[in-house]
Amino acid sequence: MSYVIPKETYSGNVLSLEFGKAPKSVKIGGENTLPFLSFEGSIPNKPVIAYEIQDITPDDWPDTVKAQYAFCSDNPVKWAQHCQNKLKAQAISLRLIGTHPDRGDRSAGDVAKIVKDVLSAVDVPLIILGSNHIEKDASVLVAAAEAASGYNCIIGKAQEGNYKTVVAAALAHKHKLIAMSELDINLAKQLNILITQMGFDKERLLTDPMCSALGYGLEYTYSVMERIRLAAIMQNDVTMQPPIVGDVGMYVWKVKETFASESDVSQWGSIEERGVAWEAVTAIAMLIAGTNLLIMRHPKAVETVRKTIEELV
Amino acid sequence: MALSGVEIFKLLPKTNCKKCGFPTCLAFAMALAQGKTELAKCPDVSEESKRVLGEASAPPIRTFFLGTSEKAVKLGGETVLFRHDKKFFNPCVYAVNVKDTLSNDELNEKIEEVLTSEIDRVGQKLRVDAISIEFASGNSSQYESAVKLISQKAPDTAIILNCKDPSAAEVAVRTIADKKPLLYCANEGNTGAMTNIAKTHKIPLGVYAKGLSELSVLTEKIKGMGVEDLVIDSGAEKAKDMLELNTQIRRSALKKNFKPLGYPIINFVLREDPIFETCVAGIAAAKYASIIVLSSIEKWKNLALFTLRQNIYTDPQVPMQVEQKIYKIGEPTVNSPLLITTNFSLTYFMVSGEVENSKVPAYLAVMDCEGLSVLTAWAAGKFTAGKIVQFIKDSGVENQISHRELIIPGQVAILSGAIEDKLEGWKITVGPREANGIPTFLKSRPA
Amino acid sequence: MIIIGEKISIIAKKVREAMLSRAPEPIQELAESQRRAGAHFIDVNIGPAEDKGDDLMRWMVESIQEKVQAPLCLDTTNPVALEAGLKAHNNQWGRALINSTSNEPERFVMLELAAKYNAQVIGLTLGKGGIPADAEERCEIAAEIMARAAEYGVPLEDIYLDPLVLQIATSQDHAAKVIDAVKMFQEINDPPMKTVVGLSNISNGCPKAIRPILNKYYFILLMNVGLTAAIADPREMAEAMQERQLVEDVMAGKEIDDVKKMMEIKKTLDVIMNKTLYAHSYLEM
Repeated sequence: MSYVIPKETYSGNVLSLEFGKAPKSVKIGGENTLPFLSFEGSIPNKPVIAYEIQDITPDDWPDTVKAQYAFCSDNPVKWAQHCQNKLKAQAISLRLIGTHPDRGDRSAGDVAKIVKDVLSAVDVPLIILGSNHIEKDASVLVAAAEAASGYNCIIGKAQEGNYKTVVAAALAHKHKLIAMSELDINLAKQLNILITQMGFDKERLLTDPMCSALGYGLEYTYSVMERIRLAAIMQNDVTMQPPIVGDVGMYVWKVKETFASESDVSQWGSIEERGVAWEAVTAIAMLIAGTNLLIMRHPKAVETVRKTIEELV
Repeated sequence: MALSGVEIFKLLPKTNCKKCGFPTCLAFAMALAQGKTELAKCPDVSEESKRVLGEASAPPIRTFFLGTSEKAVKLGGETVLFRHDKKFFNPCVYAVNVKDTLSNDELNEKIEEVLTSEIDRVGQKLRVDAISIEFASGNSSQYESAVKLISQKAPDTAIILNCKDPSAAEVAVRTIADKKPLLYCANEGNTGAMTNIAKTHKIPLGVYAKGLSELSVLTEKIKGMGVEDLVIDSGAEKAKDMLELNTQIRRSALKKNFKPLGYPIINFVLREDPIFETCVAGIAAAKYASIIVLSSIEKWKNLALFTLRQNIYTDPQVPMQVEQKIYKIGEPTVNSPLLITTNFSLTYFMVSGEVENSKVPAYLAVMDCEGLSVLTAWAAGKFTAGKIVQFIKDSGVENQISHRELIIPGQVAILSGAIEDKLEGWKITVGPREANGIPTFLKSRPA
Repeated sequence: MIIIGEKISIIAKKVREAMLSRAPEPIQELAESQRRAGAHFIDVNIGPAEDKGDDLMRWMVESIQEKVQAPLCLDTTNPVALEAGLKAHNNQWGRALINSTSNEPERFVMLELAAKYNAQVIGLTLGKGGIPADAEERCEIAAEIMARAAEYGVPLEDIYLDPLVLQIATSQDHAAKVIDAVKMFQEINDPPMKTVVGLSNISNGCPKAIRPILNKYYFILLMNVGLTAAIADPREMAEAMQERQLVEDVMAGKEIDDVKKMMEIKKTLDVIMNKTLYAHSYLEM
């Protein structure tokens, strides 16, 4: 019995998508094989990591990650420049958390200014996220999309409850769009169908099946992503072919393992490395399951995941 | 070609004698079809059936134990490529690599690290299961004494003899043969000698070759010499090769029933930077390694890797459950609202997340319903008025709050009357049907 | 094919209210209309029925059988309520069917009741280990239920094995696994074991418009592998019988005149057999 490489033949591929403006624009997706398995297909683009910044000081982030940005996080422009210039970010993800009714309820008008300021301060591609408040995001993302008109950003997230407004804004200002559903592959497909039925090209779409942190439902996200990838390439399901987003940082940096002090849980070891490892391992699991675009917070975690990606291609 | 459970059943004696440990021949046949047991467990199977079943009934990936203590761990036995297809059965082993060139003090320190690595997570005790002792000194008596020391100080921890030198290996094996160490490894240059040691001492053998063709040839050769408990190493160094070759090995075994690669996989993921090593180990854990050898086992690293393994090896059909208790969200006071839901972990994550989003501090009573979601638990008779009342009474929450109002999920609004009847002095409020309605619901209540 | 009319269920608001106020008419009407539409049994689902479940079940059985000359399928997890129903059941029109025993210890008592009252019983292939992963695991559980039935003195011909139909909207891969299980269940005994499904659960959680479509075509696929009985809407099942030939033509690759219908059948079969991923709008793709 001699060995023959067991190759699969796939009928579909992940759509490729470019965002940002030349020469710093970034391309993701396009593979016609399972994550990193280039022995049976081609993977034209590596996964990309975007640094998360926020429009307000990240008071709710654990100290170990907050400290990384202590000198710049009071100002989204400074913060964005730091990510681009010092941390060599490939992309930046601006989360407009200050628009949340409980986090300052910043108006859509304020948003437009912040977005414009950040866009004129950096030239790496920008992802603009709302606060995950369904109703508020509808108005916030409309304002953001308009302010960023011409910059070919990714905006998000369109959800079942607000997609009509958000899609229309992305369509009008020619942005890419993240469609998010909550850990349910069938609802992810349904939302993508509804969005494309509005005339939005599937080539401009990204799917966020909802991230979960290591130890807090990670296995659900992992399997939903694997199934999305399989549907895209094995069943050639066009509704499941947009690249996948893993919004890792916001789910990781609120679980106990990232902030419990060493005196409280001595058996868990160093708080500093623990948080970084938590974010990095969550991101790695997402990558192995099929994520094309990661959104992360801690520079050391980003650096390590990047190094791992280099070893995976 | 693998036979279905029913086809296997037809070849069994149908006596339901239970000697195999299963209640009926049919149940045994189904387990056989899934590679969960072996035909040899049936004492009465006919020679004819044995011949027909033969290879078809052997699990596609060989299964055996590493170590001999009660902490011995089962390797191999996997039946699917993706966890959502069924489940991954036997969680990978994390081992730490230790060189025999370390001083006794350093060795003792490492041993101590292993012995204190146990962490309790969601009811499971997780630990570093094995020590890989590397023959780095070139001196077989030094190796022997390191092996002896470790096996004495960590008697329950499985041992991997990381030694390619047959004479040093022979000496080391002899001192701890009863512990059934894994001998790592046989390679192209030492196959005969290493296989003989493994065969003589009846211990499992690691097999190393660069590339899967070479590896297949080697495992067949060793099997021919009479050693079958093998652990295979494809020689992958880069993470990419590890991922690709592990995938090819698993696929060959499961989809092609290619026996020369139907063995558990060992991956050495040694890297200078411990966080980087954690990431590479994570890839191995997700994609098909049975033994992952690390260069260091910091507590934070163990926690992350144990948790990842637990997540990956969770049975997707068995809902992950959280502990039954009254959870505090934010910093609730005696006046804070009390909500109840079931202990299906996803339900819990959603509900607690939305309560958190509401910024209203609250108590969340999570009731053990065997991991079912609210409506399913109700229909199955596990989330009923009587059981809810019992749980609330037993939980002691009455001492934590001064009010007597319980918010129940909208999906079981039907229960509100019955609970009110049985829970004297309480008011039952029907909450939203879906978790995402919670913030609006909680915020719109008078403070 | 035995049809067990599913409409009298506590899940339905109208039925629930009638149960609570002990108003027999709405329940009797449902029983009669299902009987007219071809139901052989009438399912009586009173839910967990913790409080005075025995009174309720007795009242339900008496009220229904007062109007309808058919055996009933008694559906509750409460054994006291179930026993009251069995006592009240009029066997003149056929023996009662208990819904259900399973591999969970608290449901073993249902076998005891089946033996005591000479009733038939549904064996739901569900154990403590969560949802069975595939047809093989369902068979494993079936084997245990069958062994236990023998211990309790319930003959195998009185058992209907139920592979547990799950919602296609959340557990799509199980739709085909259930079809396999129905096939396998029959092979594990001679004469073949009887089989039953709670059919409509397949489309639970789906948009109203596509529910009958999924129910009907799924029913036809199950019928084709030898299903004995279905708890279902008898009206839908009557329609399914009429459409059976069409479905078989499409499966055989024949073109049929009604193109819209043909696409509907093709897409639905693909979704059921897990060849395309389900989404609420799958018919529009």
